[in-house]
Amino acid sequence: MARRPAPGGATARRRWSSPALRRVALATALTLSGVVLAACSGGDTSGAPQLTWYINNQGQQPLAEACNEQAEGAYEIETSLLPTAAAGQREQLLRRLAAGDQTVDILSLDPPFMAEFANAEFLRPFTDEEREEFSEGVLDGPLEQSVFDDTMFSAPFYGNTQLLWYKKSVAEEAGLDPESEPVTWDQVIEAAEATGTTIGVQGRRDESLMVWVNALVESAGGSILSEESEGRPADEVQATIRDEAGQEAARIMSTIASSSVAPPGLSTAGEEESRAAFQADDGGFMVNWPYVWTAFEAAAKTGAVDEGFRDDVGWARYPQVVEGEASATPLGGIGLSVGAYSANPDAAVEAIRCLRSPESQKEYMLTVGDPGAAGEIYDDPEVQEAFPMYEAIREGLTDAAPRPISAFYGDVTGAIQQGYHPPDRLSADSTPQATADFIEAVLRNEKML
Amino acid sequence: MSTTVPAAAGEVREEVPRADGRRQDDRPRRMTDRARKERNLGWLLVGPAFIVMLAVTAYPIANAAWYSLFDFRLTDPDARSFVGLGNYMTILTDILFWRQFGVTAAITVVTVAVEFVLGFALALVMHRALYLRKSVRTAILVPYGIITVVSAYAWQYAFTPAYGFVNPLFGSDLDWFGGTIPSLVVICLSEIWKTTPFMSLLLLAGLAQIPSTYIEAAKVDGATAWQRFRKVIVPNMKGAIMVALLFRTLDAFRIFDNVFIMTQGANGTETLSFLAYRQTITRVMIGLGSAVSVILAILVFLIAFMFIKGFKVNLAEQRGS
Amino acid sequence: MSADRKGQVFWIVGAVVIIAYALIPVAWIVSLSFKAGDDITNQRFWPTDWSWENYQIVFESDLFTSALRNSVGISLIATFISVVLAMFAAYAVARLEFPGKKLLLSLALAITVFPIIAIATPLFNLWRTVGLYDTWLGLIIPYLSFSLPLSVYVLSAFFREIPWEMEQAAQVDGATPLQAFRKVIVPLAAPGVFTAAILTFFAIWNDFIFGITLTSSEAARPVPAALAFFSGASQFSQPTAPIAAASVIVTIPVVILVLLFQQKIVAGLTNGAVKG
Repeated sequence: MARRPAPGGATARRRWSSPALRRVALATALTLSGVVLAACSGGDTSGAPQLTWYINNQGQQPLAEACNEQAEGAYEIETSLLPTAAAGQREQLLRRLAAGDQTVDILSLDPPFMAEFANAEFLRPFTDEEREEFSEGVLDGPLEQSVFDDTMFSAPFYGNTQLLWYKKSVAEEAGLDPESEPVTWDQVIEAAEATGTTIGVQGRRDESLMVWVNALVESAGGSILSEESEGRPADEVQATIRDEAGQEAARIMSTIASSSVAPPGLSTAGEEESRAAFQADDGGFMVNWPYVWTAFEAAAKTGAVDEGFRDDVGWARYPQVVEGEASATPLGGIGLSVGAYSANPDAAVEAIRCLRSPESQKEYMLTVGDPGAAGEIYDDPEVQEAFPMYEAIREGLTDAAPRPISAFYGDVTGAIQQGYHPPDRLSADSTPQATADFIEAVLRNEKML
Repeated sequence: MSTTVPAAAGEVREEVPRADGRRQDDRPRRMTDRARKERNLGWLLVGPAFIVMLAVTAYPIANAAWYSLFDFRLTDPDARSFVGLGNYMTILTDILFWRQFGVTAAITVVTVAVEFVLGFALALVMHRALYLRKSVRTAILVPYGIITVVSAYAWQYAFTPAYGFVNPLFGSDLDWFGGTIPSLVVICLSEIWKTTPFMSLLLLAGLAQIPSTYIEAAKVDGATAWQRFRKVIVPNMKGAIMVALLFRTLDAFRIFDNVFIMTQGANGTETLSFLAYRQTITRVMIGLGSAVSVILAILVFLIAFMFIKGFKVNLAEQRGS
Repeated sequence: MSADRKGQVFWIVGAVVIIAYALIPVAWIVSLSFKAGDDITNQRFWPTDWSWENYQIVFESDLFTSALRNSVGISLIATFISVVLAMFAAYAVARLEFPGKKLLLSLALAITVFPIIAIATPLFNLWRTVGLYDTWLGLIIPYLSFSLPLSVYVLSAFFREIPWEMEQAAQVDGATPLQAFRKVIVPLAAPGVFTAAILTFFAIWNDFIFGITLTSSEAARPVPAALAFFSGASQFSQPTAPIAAASVIVTIPVVILVLLFQQKIVAGLTNGAVKG
């Protein structure tokens, strides 16, 4: 290869000496400052033990502040916000706990994920005394989903349940009275068809779909996984969704999705889309969480709906699948857990004691709108006024059926979401069987998800 | 041809073998002192870079290969068990893998083909335009330098029905992210937009080294522009073309950022890299995910190998000359 | 002469089209960043009212400002180390003969084509046991691994072009070895080093996979990963416009570098790839 003199020669030299030096100096300065920044740990060494609470809703932060005041130096809670979607929250917490993160003191944990974390020993179990304390007065539903392997890993904070919402005018027209006697899904479908209205259901392929499927299956008397599957290793888990209950679920879902009662975009609709469909002129029925009650009010203020919209809205218990058999209401909520690697577990338990207290729950319910897990707050007149459907909520939380409590919940919900979506293409004959087989194959590592 | 050719400083002397195959001076070869010093200095200078490169890639890959032999779920560490090639069987017999292999291959073929044509066009314009040359080069470096994630967001937002400008512009109301093909189209567009400049610069370099006499001669012979292109330009750029195609193909096959940001793999747009990510990070099936990673690495090397053999161009020649 | 001019017009139109091609998506993201609140659904390219609101949101968020700090710091440190190590290696490759040279270059080539996801996941495991998870060092090390091959190739190509005998010539003229090196070689090598630094910086600044798998908090999360984790002002709102604003902020250094050093970058890319 020919070697030729550098272009420019002397000019090249002059062009690059001082600017080059300046650049080198700048780069060095920046690098050094970078190194200093990296070395800076910025730890707090003041008196009260620092606790970090990973919250899933910004509205939980005022509770932390209130408890900090009460604590008088026993602890100081700092909040850190997790992503909005449940799956994102799981991923974030999972990664941190897998890395042995000591700053994870308190977590707002979505109950279905509790079993997975507990099984992986990422959570500090509550002692028997603590369990007794945190169970007192708590409604059945939230309590059931905070226990795994006969140990409590999550202190129930708030529970959530879905109700059947309907426009009173529409129900009247259809000759249906959900308030006085429970209705079945088939009746609701019939009523909507007769009046030319829609049923707002969440058909989007995420956790909300799983909630719907689980509620339908449990209401039909079955379950997605067999009863004994809870503590079993992955290859011994049995999926019972292939039975009759799963078939009923598929039938109802496909009937709604492929008929005129389906709102547009059903297969990508979440809670907000369902609410929008219900608020539309042709909305007739909806299943959704109680937060919508305050949301209707806000919508009336911005003009999205008429002033008197809320007066026409009625609520009732979640629809039955089998006539005469009480429905298994959907269950959501959040529990407070202590991270297994926390540097201050005792302080964390102390903090949780304050955060999940009935007063704290009531405050949260009134500000954010998520129903508390303690039964007594439903007797409070303030709560009763803000939530006229308090009786239905309390009932719903008591009779609720949690989603499968399984250490492999992530895979189970993924498999269900794949099998039971899109809702308009389900078949009662093939879908439940195929999905059950799929769940088992995935857990036995014979198929990928 | 004799051994009396003076060697350059530090080079080991090239010896011509005798007829019977043995060396001229039948003594064991010894490096000159200088040669040894040069060798040691060479190793010393190259050492740190070499070690860093090797350590940071060799260990994780060996680790991945090891874990791929286990059925290992991070949140269930007690149930970890050795399954040998079991994970590979699961993957290769699962239609999900083949489907995503197809998607990845389709994206690769489409993007590389479009980028090649577009890149060539860009290179020709930059080569021939007398004015605005500097502006063009500056402009096309922006897509090159922009973060892939930013490009993904820009294209995604442009095509989202709620706030994009594409639908109103063409008066359509297609839900671009509601189905497989439309989503893939947008993903490909973002990928193509961002990396065509790189391709065009490589091709431009190849174009620039074609002696203008060849082209002049062809013009004099009466060849049309297309004929000049086919018979003079392309054959003389073989090296540049091969390098450009090779690197872009390998890059496209490993696509991840655009898919993650735009669709999160929904609607059948998941690619092999994303599959590996999801199995390992989301499902925390470390063993299975590692197996997918290993398979992906093998595929990439296979493609590179086929390319190099197929084009029959000596890479070393391209480099050291 | 007029045929030639017609030809030139054709090429110039082409040039304009290319400039538009390159800049329209950038203009779009800029325009989005100035749309406040519901304006993003105005179904038009430009905002109806230009507003700085999104930039405010972005700078008030802890997530973004810390990500920016992380990215700048980590990228600069990694670039610096990478270029220094590569300089030594490239010098050896360009000037010295030693066994293993080909092996080194083949290894470098093999690393550039490697799927990063294959390394990211074992590193996640390793870092969490060793304690480097979610730290600057935990990102700098992998960044070195994939930026070194690039730096080595680019610098090797540049260093091969340097007339090393000028150093000897300077010494013959009476300079000490150090002076010869400083006054002759360094200015000749500087452009190449600089270009290698810029290209390496771009590559590291752009990383996404390591950013999302090896971090989980503001302690080390770089900008591309942070963009993916942005949540909106309220629980249900889509953070589209703030993400656009953040994107613009993060693109500004790129644009500045490109404007200032376009020639060097092009030289580096073409040199390093075709001949290197």
